[in-house]
Amino acid sequence: MVEMTRELMRLMGIDNERLELQWISSAEGGRFAEIVTSFTDKIKTLGKSPLGVAA
Amino acid sequence: MNIEEAVKKYQTFYCLDCGVCTGSCPVSRVQPSFSPRIIVEKALLELGDELLHDRELWSCLTCGRCFERCPTNINFPEFMRALREEAFKAGTTPLLAHHGMLQTIMELQTQGIHQKKTGWAHEAGKVAEKGDTFFFVGCMPYFDVIFRDIGVDSLTTSRQVIKILNAAGIEPVVSDEEACCGHDMLWNGKPEVFQKLAQHNVDLIRRSGAKRVVFNCPEGYYTFKHHYPQYVGELDFELIQFYDMAERLVSEGALKLRNGSGVYTYHDPCRLGRMARIFEGPRNILKQVADSHFVEMERNRENAVCCGTSGWANCSTGSKQIQVERLKEAAATGADTLITACPKCQIHLSCALSNIDLPLQIKDLTTLIAETMEA
Repeated sequence: MVEMTRELMRLMGIDNERLELQWISSAEGGRFAEIVTSFTDKIKTLGKSPLGVAA
Repeated sequence: MNIEEAVKKYQTFYCLDCGVCTGSCPVSRVQPSFSPRIIVEKALLELGDELLHDRELWSCLTCGRCFERCPTNINFPEFMRALREEAFKAGTTPLLAHHGMLQTIMELQTQGIHQKKTGWAHEAGKVAEKGDTFFFVGCMPYFDVIFRDIGVDSLTTSRQVIKILNAAGIEPVVSDEEACCGHDMLWNGKPEVFQKLAQHNVDLIRRSGAKRVVFNCPEGYYTFKHHYPQYVGELDFELIQFYDMAERLVSEGALKLRNGSGVYTYHDPCRLGRMARIFEGPRNILKQVADSHFVEMERNRENAVCCGTSGWANCSTGSKQIQVERLKEAAATGADTLITACPKCQIHLSCALSNIDLPLQIKDLTTLIAETMEA
């Protein structure tokens, strides 16, 4: 399913790096924090998306 | 436009209370609580508040079968469109189909994205950056991804358009920057988003230098023709419906059709038929496909029945019932192939067909032309 969303994002010209899907169990707090932190860092590196700037 | 203004503009006070609208309505047939007559009456009786909080406003297919038959010529679909704008402001929203994915894409197109959606066109044939003829592809690249699971490959139709245009000596312009025509936003009660999309498209087409725009999708064609001038002013380029063009090419002998074995029947899309008044062109093309037979369904042309959902809103068990009945009607003609001429009709009817056992296949008219044309 996420692959379809990626395809739609590609059509819209939105960087696929901005979408991440991970399945984490409620028992894996450490893993959750790790993934969210690394994704947040990645988004910060990518900078602002083209969205929100009116055409 | 508030209800009072809408009543005046669409002159619903001429209503005779005869009920022909409700008797003609495909939704009322399967969902008796929905009635165009009652909606008009409520507006006249100043029960506007009740009306604007009724979610059934979004069940109307805006197919225009009621308007076609109304003895006092009340344009119920346009009246409904005005009511929806007010309803939306009052917080009454439609139940969006496909989780609102399509509406989200349309709204994002007004938010400064730069789409990349024409790769397929360069593979399909010869296309240009600038030129006289602009091919308005519409939502097909998105449909092709979203509706793959029900076996609808929307871009096949678009590829065939390019193939047929090339065969006629035309290298059309296709653009990554083209946005949705805005049809669904307009009928979803969001005129401000519609206006942005419309302005964006008109500016884009003007920059391309095109003198004419070809539409395969009936919604795009009708929306440009009928609603764009109202919202963004008169257009200084010609609008061409692809099937009008194809019919001309066939009748002039520039496009020769052959090898169409089978029995076909044809489903009139509401935007192409009742709204744009294009009834005969697709039929004339179908009759030219050699070695095949063309049969009419009982409800055809002005009396045709909608494909069951409109504007990606309120798809319900009622929609499914309308679709299944339509498919059974097509099969009852003895046809083995139901020909559609609108990408959405193809999607909706294919969705219903995938859940029932019926000896029928669905094919888009453009694909049939491409498959049967002589190289």
